[in-house]
Amino acid sequence: MRIKTTREQRILYIKTMVRWMLYYVLIFFSFICMTSGTWTKPVLLVPIALCIAVNNNMYASAFTAAICGFLIDMSCDKLFGYNAVLLTFFCIVVSLLYELYLRNKFVNFMLITAAVSYIQCRLDYKFYYEIWEYENVERIFTKVTLKVWIYTLIASVFIYLIIKLINHFLMPKNHLTIEEAITTRTQQNS
Amino acid sequence: MREFLKSTRFKVLLAFLAFLVGIMIYAVTKGGYSVSGASFINTLTKPFRAVSNKISMNIETGLDKFSNADEYYEENQRLKQQIGELNKQLTEFDALKSEVEELRKFVIIKEEHEDFVLSQPCEVLGYIANDPFRSFTIDKGSADGIKPNCPVATAEGLVGITVEVSEHVSTVRTILSPDLSVGAVCSSSSADSGVIEGAILSAENGNTRLSHVSTDNQLKVGDLMITTGRSGVFPENYAIGTIKSISYDSNGLSVCAEIEPCTDIRRLTSVIVITDFSGKKEDIDED
Repeated sequence: MRIKTTREQRILYIKTMVRWMLYYVLIFFSFICMTSGTWTKPVLLVPIALCIAVNNNMYASAFTAAICGFLIDMSCDKLFGYNAVLLTFFCIVVSLLYELYLRNKFVNFMLITAAVSYIQCRLDYKFYYEIWEYENVERIFTKVTLKVWIYTLIASVFIYLIIKLINHFLMPKNHLTIEEAITTRTQQNS
Repeated sequence: MREFLKSTRFKVLLAFLAFLVGIMIYAVTKGGYSVSGASFINTLTKPFRAVSNKISMNIETGLDKFSNADEYYEENQRLKQQIGELNKQLTEFDALKSEVEELRKFVIIKEEHEDFVLSQPCEVLGYIANDPFRSFTIDKGSADGIKPNCPVATAEGLVGITVEVSEHVSTVRTILSPDLSVGAVCSSSSADSGVIEGAILSAENGNTRLSHVSTDNQLKVGDLMITTGRSGVFPENYAIGTIKSISYDSNGLSVCAEIEPCTDIRRLTSVIVITDFSGKKEDIDED
């Protein structure tokens, strides 16, 4: 990759700032949606944290996952920090998986979101309902937990598209495009 | 992978995870009060949540009219039939008398609560996401004199109890939850008492359940259940709900009943918190 000029570096810095601002605006509105109304709602912050982890460095992903986790704890009235620990762990693992083994594809993202959100929903059901042996507790699994999981999966498609759109305009490119390569070559020759 | 496990990055992330676990453990020790970070976010997002919830409730109500039009039509027809039946009953003096007496008892209960110290009316900020027992948050907190384990009610009846209080927001656990037990007695016969404790099946219909009632009871459908006030958590003689159906417990040794709360807990917009009343147990927090 060619060396960037000061102007390009400044643009890159601004783009990164705007990108992260947009990520956090998305997180904020998802939190507000999760705390509104009485219907069963998807846990929007799980796919958001995962999608950010897929596309960004591990430290930033871990921090964002912790924030998302804390917000889930607040909106779902869970022990403060429970979902933060869970989501941070998963986002570190996902970030590492993408770094070493996986390609940034929609199918991979959906499979990972399905697995992580299922584990999150299942653990939630386990610790908050099943473990207390309420009468007819399995109804909560079929009527709430599975519903939330399916809704989360459906919502993750839209979240993927939104974050992809943000990244398309604001994510720094790792490789030169053909046009950039030609321009660079022309500049070097002249 | 091995390189990653040996790297500084791995150690930093491990330390971060340990820090988060530390916060979680700290939150456990707070005994009903929010962690200051959560309290800050709650205060910050409160106006947005209030506005968003109002919009969401309006949309839900609007969509509800369309999606449940058939149901409402049937309900309307059924209610018309019921009105006809009730009109017949109104002509009968005995039925009228018993109904008036029941209402008078309810009025007396209201008049007898002069000892209550009430909070300002609290607006419901929103229901807890995906909670089958309809816990919700209100826009008043410790700054308004609310503490954990304060009874929450409407003018019609008991709603629940505060479980987590931050400075300007509190979380309320409702009587639909199996985690909340309320000693209850029938308003017409004080001998028939039991424990009101939510159940998953009942909560699906917005009802709660009365259990541990002796088999030789005088309970009948339509009876009003009120609080006993023996625990010191809830005030005495406050309306909870009416009996919808009576059956035997699964063990067959006692009777249980489906209770329809006096107020529809699934559609609350405002409530009051009873911060103090005579007979309140002072060391609830320590318990």
